[in-house]
Amino acid sequence: MTPNFIIYAPLLAVSLLFFSWSCYKRFALIAVGQPENRFEQLDQRIMGVLTYALGQKRVMARSFGLNHAVIFWAFLVLLLANGEFLISGLFPALNLALLPGPIHHLLQFAFDAVSLLALAGVVLAAGRRLFFAPDYMETSYTSAKSAEAFLILGSIALLMLAYFGLHGAMIAMGKESATYMPVSGLASTLLAAVPAENLQALVSFFWWLHALVLLLFINYLPHSKHMHILTAIPNCFFKSLEKPNTQPREEFVKGGRFGAGSVDQLAWKDLLDGFSCTECGRCQSVCPAAITGKPLNPRQVVHDIKINLLKGSLEQDSYVPGQPLIGTGEGSVSEDAIWSCTTCGACMAACPVLIEQMPKVVKMRRHLVQMKSQFPEELLNLFENMEGRSNPWGIAPTDRTKWYATMDVKPFDADTTEYLLYVGCAGSFDSRQKHVTVALAHILDAAGISWGILGKEELCCGDSLRRLGNEFVFDKLAKQNVALFNEKRITKVITQCPHCFTTLKNDYRQYGLELEVIHHSELIDSLLTSGKLKLNHQVKELGKIAFHDSCYLGRHNDVYDPPRNVIAAATGSAPQEFERNHENSFCCGAGGGRMWMEEQLGSRINLNRIEEALAGKPDTLCVSCPYCLTMFADGIKDLQADQIQVKDIAEVVAEGLRPVNQ
Amino acid sequence: MLIVVCIKQVPDTTQVQIDPVTNTLVREGIPFIANPYDTHALEEALRLKDQFGMRVVAVSMGPPNAEATLRKALAVGADEAILLSDRVFGGADTLATSNVLSAAIKKLNEQEEVGLVLCGKQTIDGDTAQVGPGIATRNGYSQLTLVDRVDQVDLAGKKIRVRRKLEGRHEIVEAPMPAMLTVVRELNRPRYPTVPLRLESEDREVKVWNNEALKLDVNSIGLKGSPTWVSRIFSPEREKGEIVGDGLHDPKGTSRLLIEKLLSKDLLPV
Amino acid sequence: MTVEKKPVKKPRGKARLIEGRCIACGARCESSCPVNIISMNDAGEPVINAEKCIGCVKCVKVCPAQAIDMFFTPEEQQLLDELMKTADAALEEDDPEAAALASKLAQYRNVWVFIEQTEGEPARVSWELLGKGRELADALGVELIAVVFGEKVENLCHESFAYGADKAYLVDAPVFRFYRTEVYLKALCQLIETHKPEIILMGATGLGRDLAGAVATVVGTGLTADCTGLGIDDKRNLMQTRPAFGGNIMATIMCDKFRPQMATVRPHVMTLPERREGASGEIVPISCPIDEKDILTKVLEVINDKKGKDHVDVAGAEFIVSGGRGMMGPANFALLKELADELGGVVGASRSAVDAGWMPHDRQVGQTGKTVRPKIYIACGISGAIQHLVGMQDSDLIIAINRDKEAPIFEVAHYGIVGDLFQVVPELVLGIRELKQQ
Ligand SMILES: Cc1cc2nc3c(=O)[nH]c(=O)nc-3n(C[C@H](O)[C@H](O)[C@H](O)COP(=O)(O)OP(=O)(O)OC[C@H]3O[C@@H](n4cnc5c(N)ncnc54)[C@H](O)[C@@H]3O)c2cc1C
Ligand SMILES: Cc1cc2nc3c(=O)[nH]c(=O)nc-3n(C[C@H](O)[C@H](O)[C@H](O)COP(=O)(O)OP(=O)(O)OC[C@H]3O[C@@H](n4cnc5c(N)ncnc54)[C@H](O)[C@@H]3O)c2cc1C
Ligand code: SF4
Ligand code: SF4
Ligand code: SF4
Ligand code: SF4
Repeated sequence: MTPNFIIYAPLLAVSLLFFSWSCYKRFALIAVGQPENRFEQLDQRIMGVLTYALGQKRVMARSFGLNHAVIFWAFLVLLLANGEFLISGLFPALNLALLPGPIHHLLQFAFDAVSLLALAGVVLAAGRRLFFAPDYMETSYTSAKSAEAFLILGSIALLMLAYFGLHGAMIAMGKESATYMPVSGLASTLLAAVPAENLQALVSFFWWLHALVLLLFINYLPHSKHMHILTAIPNCFFKSLEKPNTQPREEFVKGGRFGAGSVDQLAWKDLLDGFSCTECGRCQSVCPAAITGKPLNPRQVVHDIKINLLKGSLEQDSYVPGQPLIGTGEGSVSEDAIWSCTTCGACMAACPVLIEQMPKVVKMRRHLVQMKSQFPEELLNLFENMEGRSNPWGIAPTDRTKWYATMDVKPFDADTTEYLLYVGCAGSFDSRQKHVTVALAHILDAAGISWGILGKEELCCGDSLRRLGNEFVFDKLAKQNVALFNEKRITKVITQCPHCFTTLKNDYRQYGLELEVIHHSELIDSLLTSGKLKLNHQVKELGKIAFHDSCYLGRHNDVYDPPRNVIAAATGSAPQEFERNHENSFCCGAGGGRMWMEEQLGSRINLNRIEEALAGKPDTLCVSCPYCLTMFADGIKDLQADQIQVKDIAEVVAEGLRPVNQ
Repeated sequence: MLIVVCIKQVPDTTQVQIDPVTNTLVREGIPFIANPYDTHALEEALRLKDQFGMRVVAVSMGPPNAEATLRKALAVGADEAILLSDRVFGGADTLATSNVLSAAIKKLNEQEEVGLVLCGKQTIDGDTAQVGPGIATRNGYSQLTLVDRVDQVDLAGKKIRVRRKLEGRHEIVEAPMPAMLTVVRELNRPRYPTVPLRLESEDREVKVWNNEALKLDVNSIGLKGSPTWVSRIFSPEREKGEIVGDGLHDPKGTSRLLIEKLLSKDLLPV
Repeated sequence: MTVEKKPVKKPRGKARLIEGRCIACGARCESSCPVNIISMNDAGEPVINAEKCIGCVKCVKVCPAQAIDMFFTPEEQQLLDELMKTADAALEEDDPEAAALASKLAQYRNVWVFIEQTEGEPARVSWELLGKGRELADALGVELIAVVFGEKVENLCHESFAYGADKAYLVDAPVFRFYRTEVYLKALCQLIETHKPEIILMGATGLGRDLAGAVATVVGTGLTADCTGLGIDDKRNLMQTRPAFGGNIMATIMCDKFRPQMATVRPHVMTLPERREGASGEIVPISCPIDEKDILTKVLEVINDKKGKDHVDVAGAEFIVSGGRGMMGPANFALLKELADELGGVVGASRSAVDAGWMPHDRQVGQTGKTVRPKIYIACGISGAIQHLVGMQDSDLIIAINRDKEAPIFEVAHYGIVGDLFQVVPELVLGIRELKQQ
């Protein structure tokens, strides 16, 4: 079978040229992004590709993911088959038959079987889109039933059908043997009725069908969401090696631009992310903002960035954005969307191709706060209180010591105390959280821990500032804190707040401060396990306890078991789980500085979570974060579920420290 | 045309506490800030600047470190900042303070016509609310205190119309310019400085004028020019929170008791 | 008894700052030092170069906070003690300067109270001041004079007599109908120049502080703001006590070398004197030649806040009655409205009450609502979460009504009632109404 060289050769050449040009256009656009080093630690990067891209780890985390994995693996195998197809079309002598017999036969079998799998996968996928599409596949710009999706699925199916047609006809003509190609062999039996003289025409027909569909497919790729076929693997390679909860530092030099107000102010990886998005909608399906009807949809953010990038024009070396990054309409992200993010990280944990949605939102916040001074009204107080009094409420710093009115608490002194208890703003000022601080202090004393506090010298860690994009003030605060910690020779820190925890542990590392930061749940866990802390009785009075994973403890820092162990040890039974737990836990609604804003859009995130809790009919909700505590307490009151109490994990344990007869 | 904004650097008095043992003011670590009312005055000036293109000059009388406060004014968009600092200005009461400020404003007026002077309603340390009227009177400007809305500025006709917030009532007043306004917090919401402006303000000049520049009689300024002096400072009797009566069992008696207590301190507006 | 003739030089000592006392008053010590050896540090406190101190004690005297004292070495101290034992009580020197001053001050006599009115309606504080003024005048043995400005306000003179004035200066003309600084300033300065009072008291109201600040500047005398206490010392000087630093300290202010001594006095602090019906006095009509044509400032409109109630501004209100989840439902807010109306205030809410839809968001007080600083804040059925507290803790007076005695709101309340708000609030309303009827 030799196709017409005169027709095929130019066609192939034009196709390949057009394809290369399309790809070039896009990759050149990615290069307009800001520089960022994503090349260090190659071993880890390769591992990333193996697990997430080739291993399809995240993809398969969802029920329908296996289907994609099958199509993907089939695709990898068929890459070889189609490569041979395109080349042998030009030079019939160059084909896989040149390989040693057994290998050739193995490949023949593989191509044949895998094509069938792919065909099945594609049919299933189309069926799902048609009949069982989950609603997270819908956004205002895209739909599960989009023409694009069916075009792609259709062409893959056509490719497979043409493949079987071609090889079936060849077998029927006796030019190939069915021995290693059972499916094609089956097809040949279907073609048995075709008169022999027409078989050659059939071969030509299927060959051209295959060739045309393939060339069209290749050229359509870069223009569609299926660009991800080309970019997903590099995207996994360039993934953030640190947890992307920690935003990169900014350098505050005169004449600088801070944050991202136009698409070229994002990093190149942010732009690559745009081309890598498969529009699977998984991020959207877990995003607390999207779920509660707020204008933020992480998938759309990624999509808008891509559209925005494509709308700009690249002339010589300068890129002129086509429209503002922050604004309205397709290609721009609205301010309401930007301020709706709780930085919970659920989107990033869900994305199969490791796109970093949340950091993009923070970059846009940085622009709004630092370049435009444009932010929700409530934040003005927050920012000024943070800068002036180093706490979010603007309370006098001297009040930081008021929580221990009835206790004897030592100041931290590197020579005499081992741990710093970093009380935190909520633990110092919020009357509810002060009870937690006291409970924790009792626990530390009961376990014989040597600890001290900074008292009125303590400053806010700056978590909210950073997540809200006020990097400038965060930077000042972080430097003050780092200097203070160094001066006091602090090395071990206990926090009772996941936000202090993550900031001291991950963010301050960027400032050269390496601390051993221990969340109180981890510390109490180890104290109970080692026997240093002994309870006086098993805590039964709190009834059935359900445990909520805080985003900044769980998803952002992988602390899942210690709090559960603590509850199990204190109560004698493992805590009840929320339906969404561990990595899939659902935000309380307070992270990312949302704690300081009014929640006017959509429904309340905390109510969504409380409703979920109510399903399990617990008696007590156990948290390990002051923000969660407030959000849950408020949500319970709003839902008039006052029969449920909210306790911090330290309070649960402190309960067990009380003498039995009380 | 110039708008002069008077900004005083004050200790953040909400952070001031009284040492329960020695009964003295604990000032350790208390930062200095711009008097909060003055930030509203500055904001209004900046809005007028945005609207009419006037130039905004921030002026402060105080010690050399008050420069930091003026720099913040530059960071939100003031065009110029002048610090009035001299040993002989020290220890001033409001009469002496307004003398220095009004002289500085007159000096500015020689370079460019001053249309408005904006002050805070009062400071949070001295709390007197007297400096604004002092400036207006000395310079013969219209005096509009307690402004909570600026309705109209007629630059050609040199007239300004504002709303004043008084006890239980508001007044709409029209007055000729130049005018001195003191402003209340309700007037506006101060803007937040952008980072580029902050960075840029770091090396902008804060001019310092001493008495050589103002040439005032040393007997009319500072301690010497102050008719009032503080003879004694003491801590007020702290009102500790108090639970009144037994509201659970005797709501009526408890309510009367509370009313009596309020009456005895003349706190009830009846 | 033989007295040693050796001329012992009395040690003068060195000035020294007492740790923790300085209030950074604004470098009074620095400017008082004749040899310029005091400089101020960044915290606004003095650094005294004691070596060069000449021991003149000027800084010690000028410091309002008694933050500087004189330091003596043990030897000097011993010498001092000996001297103390031997020396006779030092005689007051006759100071010619002091005598001149005394005769200048003696030209000023009488206590004046400025009677504030708006459209003929007197401000209550004026009567309170007549009560205090009476005390002061009696202590000084002088007359108490009411100063009445306005249009058709002669009745206020009679009212002043009823509250204790001996005499009234009445300036009655159409140009005085509305308060305008320029007009009132001219008239009062003219009056001061001709009649030379030694004390002038005004209410520390918007009007009073506006006028007093201007008058004191023209007259060139001292003015003490917002006094809460007034008294006379042994030299006929007015001792004026006032809060400063946001109420964290009290200061006694003197103006002993200038007359008149002017003070504005905080309303509701001095007790209202008993009204003596039919008391009479002398009305002195004063004419002030001010032509309306020369006055360019115009009061275009006076808006009574009680009437234009469609827009309630919680942030600017002076009395706020707030309700929280303890209100149980929207209808019950009518209860709070009644109390607020009695006080001339407005109704606020906690976020819980707003979330429940009982009150609109613009009434929300707190972290994500309004920050308020009223004279009285009454929290009913509000637990006092920090998000609420940050919005109202700067109120002058906080009253909490809550049935849970552990509620954190009681930590910031000046007065707390542990009880059922549905029983307490109506009683409060009744109580205040009864009071008004009396
Ligand atoms: C405890 C204490 C009590 C005092 N009591 C009195 C008193 O009763 N009478 C008296 O005359 N003085 C008094 N003083 C002195 C007074 O505080 C100072 O004179 C001060 O310089 C100005 O007064 P103020 O802070 O009250 O300003 P206010 O009159 O309240 O200030 C109003 C506005 O004027 C402007 N302004 C004020 N000061 C400055 C400045 N330095 N630079 C730029 N703008 C400024 C600001 O815009 C401010 O918002 C007292 C000082 C202390 C420490
Ligand atoms: C992001 C965020 C922002 C927030 N911003 C604000 C804010 O701006 N303002 C604000 O107020 N809150 C705010 N909150 C909410 C805050 O956390 C509290 O939930 C809220 O203040 C509680 O309101 P409450 O005191 O009315 O209700 P509760 O805490 O439920 O208290 C009700 C109180 O009423 C008492 N009570 C009940 N019945 C009676 C009765 N018959 N007589 C007397 N007392 C009775 C109870 O003892 C209880 O103390 C915010 C929360 C979040 C998460
Ligand atoms: S971080 Fe959380 S709130 Fe923000 S976009 Fe992602 S899922 Fe949504
Ligand atoms: S960003 Fe990731 S999770 Fe979200 S739609 Fe795109 S590929 Fe899916
Ligand atoms: S005692 Fe006199 S010389 Fe000594 S520091 Fe005080 S003012 Fe200066
Ligand atoms: S006079 Fe007293 S209060 Fe004022 S600065 Fe000097 S030491 Fe401090």
